[in-house]
Amino acid sequence: MSRLVVGPFNRVEGDLEVRLTFDGYTVSEAHVVSPMFRGFETILLDRAPEDALAIAPRICGICSVSQSVAAATALAKMAHVIPPMNGQFSTQLTLACENLSDHLTHFYLFFMPDFTNAVYENKPWHEELHKRFRIPDGTSRLKAMEARAKFLHVTGIIAGKWPHTLAIQPGGTTLELDQGARIRLMRAIEGYRNFLERDCLGLPLEAFSEINSIDALRDELNTKAPSSDLALLLKVFDDLDLWSAGPGADQFISFGAYPINGEKTLRQGVWDAGEIKPVDTGAIIEDISHAKYPSMPTSPAESHSDADPEKADAYSWCKAPRYKGRTAEVGAYARQLIDGAPLIKELHSRTGSSVAGRILARWVETARIVPLMEIWAHSLQRNENYLSEYAPIEQGEGIGLVEAARGALGHWMRVENGLISNYQIIAPTTWNFSPRDANGVAGPLETALVGAKKLEGEKSPVSVQHIVRSFDPCMVCTAH
Amino acid sequence: MSQTQTFYDMIRRQGVTRRSFAKFCGLTAASLGLAPAYAQQISHALETRPRTPVVWMHGLECTCCTESFIRSAHPLVKDVVLSMLSLDYDDTIMAAAGHQAEEILQETLENHHGEYILAVEGNPPLNEDGMYCIDGGRPFVEKLQEMAEGAKAIIAWGSCASWGCVQAAKPNPTNATPIDRVIRGKPIIKVPGCPPIPEVMTAVVTYILTFDRLPELDRQGRPKMFYSQRIHDKCYRRPHFDAGQFVEQWDDENARKGYCLYKMGCRGPTTYNACSTIRWNEGVSFPIQSGHNCIGCSEDNFWDAGPFYERLQNINAFGVEANADKIGAATAGIVGGSIALHAALSAVKRARKSPAEDTKQKETENA
Repeated sequence: MSRLVVGPFNRVEGDLEVRLTFDGYTVSEAHVVSPMFRGFETILLDRAPEDALAIAPRICGICSVSQSVAAATALAKMAHVIPPMNGQFSTQLTLACENLSDHLTHFYLFFMPDFTNAVYENKPWHEELHKRFRIPDGTSRLKAMEARAKFLHVTGIIAGKWPHTLAIQPGGTTLELDQGARIRLMRAIEGYRNFLERDCLGLPLEAFSEINSIDALRDELNTKAPSSDLALLLKVFDDLDLWSAGPGADQFISFGAYPINGEKTLRQGVWDAGEIKPVDTGAIIEDISHAKYPSMPTSPAESHSDADPEKADAYSWCKAPRYKGRTAEVGAYARQLIDGAPLIKELHSRTGSSVAGRILARWVETARIVPLMEIWAHSLQRNENYLSEYAPIEQGEGIGLVEAARGALGHWMRVENGLISNYQIIAPTTWNFSPRDANGVAGPLETALVGAKKLEGEKSPVSVQHIVRSFDPCMVCTAH
Repeated sequence: MSQTQTFYDMIRRQGVTRRSFAKFCGLTAASLGLAPAYAQQISHALETRPRTPVVWMHGLECTCCTESFIRSAHPLVKDVVLSMLSLDYDDTIMAAAGHQAEEILQETLENHHGEYILAVEGNPPLNEDGMYCIDGGRPFVEKLQEMAEGAKAIIAWGSCASWGCVQAAKPNPTNATPIDRVIRGKPIIKVPGCPPIPEVMTAVVTYILTFDRLPELDRQGRPKMFYSQRIHDKCYRRPHFDAGQFVEQWDDENARKGYCLYKMGCRGPTTYNACSTIRWNEGVSFPIQSGHNCIGCSEDNFWDAGPFYERLQNINAFGVEANADKIGAATAGIVGGSIALHAALSAVKRARKSPAEDTKQKETENA
């Protein structure tokens, strides 16, 4: 029995520490620690409700648009406002742009560099991966960074500035896009499609979305795009068998993504052992038995975030969200599984969620959403409103549910006498990286790490790094 | 990491051509607002001076500064500056992990004592002995002070490191504290903004690494070249302010016409930053251009200066105008109105600087 602490964990968003117990070379127990706390939910109290639009997104510099959309959605529910069609399209375009560029950043900057690690030096694919993904100047990495900067023009054109965008409001978005702006918008999306089809996936997006099995994907890549980044990735997945590494929970949640006219583009639901059930927000609780908070109500509508840094048996600032008392995995994999993307459904029936599945699901999602972005951009109507009228809220309760890049995000907000009287946020990585609960049940990452193997002499086992990064953790969102 | 290696060696080794290098020097001179002749000087410095190590640390923060930085406009500038940094230490993007990363920090502290630049994103929380931000098993504030002690100079990235930012908002649950209150006796340059503009970040890093000194700072410790003008001074909607044409409600007819957002709560008139000139996302736009008011995210205490959607009742503090209605009425029929206003503004700006600084400023302007 030996112990190892991996931290500070780099190439994740924010601070993370993972405590591992080994039985020989195999992880027998893992504790995941969020070591940072700022107290946003306390800071938001007693402010004008609309100020949440400027404060809450600053929880995170990578998911700021999703935080912004969640706050705006909660306000809109309270004020009974529905944005006009243009406002809906422009909001979803901004959110989709952030989500998809997060997928890209995660892949090229955070996840792939691990395969350039010296422990893989003797692998036949190492040289090529090193050339493409090494830090700081791998060839694919540089191409991806440039594609990303150009793609993020979408957020610039609609919302002025990214990160920490202000233009998303309960009633829609603040700018009426003129002809020039709409053309630039379409060009930015088209540029991103070209990058994906030429360098990254190597396949037309529509064709890739329709592939319904891993074997079919392998065939397609071998014949049509043997040198794409995706083709190379599959070789690595096969060689290291990452199809079975880091198995996830048996419950998945998606709040449903990109609503247009009241209809979610990606389906909302809970995947419970093969069955898809509707989401009941009343069944969501936050357990704090191992989190550094004093005892409090468990419902996010009632709980608060006073801190107790000295609490015995508590090891993380992350609360432990549970759905119907059980852990749940959230993210692109959950979204695509629940929405029924053919490739992910087939994969799930064979292996369940895994390192490889989580990575692949982000590309499946990208391929499915970029064409929709094109449609949304074309749907923007000239001389029509982008904003519905919104009257400041005096009283009310609202929940803003969205899908951020990393999964289900919820803002629970209450307003009394024109000021925020309660605000609770459950972020995607709060679900995935939750600590143990009152029953001692470990969170999804803690469970996924059990069984990971370290190599002789490894202080930061690369297998652990693959599993941790496959979730694309956002630690600054996790504990806020 | 040899001591005698220069930036030029490193850049060339990474496959940047001589021609691209020359272009980089030219671009850098331009982004710093220097005369073209400076390109030569930059080129000479990078070819001969030993490379300065840079360590980038993260405290209580949201990583928006890093996000901003890795998107700097010119791909060449970004690549070169990024490779300057990532050789050493940056939690978010570096290759090394865990212990290996800690070792790099220790090595830099020992082998480059007094030589390296410390860039700090975020800030330390001081309540409960720093327990709210634990980095590598100990409070971030300790690690920060330790690394600051051996640094030549310190860059405070963003409003967190510079002023405190949102986590320091009332009631500041963790006592999040700007870094200049826990670091003594070291030159600190503040590059505020939430986040700062990418081009400003790369320009500041390049300036320091090229000239081996901090650029000229204002009294609050900000580089003058980027923070000496208010958003309002160069705002493209400024003519509408001067003409008394204001958006009264979002999405109203005036909003469509692109009128001034002052009455919607715009902080442009009290915010010193370069958003209205350099703009964001590769010069595409900035908040005011998206039809939303500026919230003043590069100013100290912006986080508690809400509600953000209520007009600044008066900006008398700046000796400019009583309120928007008055300025509208006063300037609508008087052509000289805006000229007087600018004269008044310049006077205010002059008054904010010491006479010596002012002389220097004039010399630069005349040059």
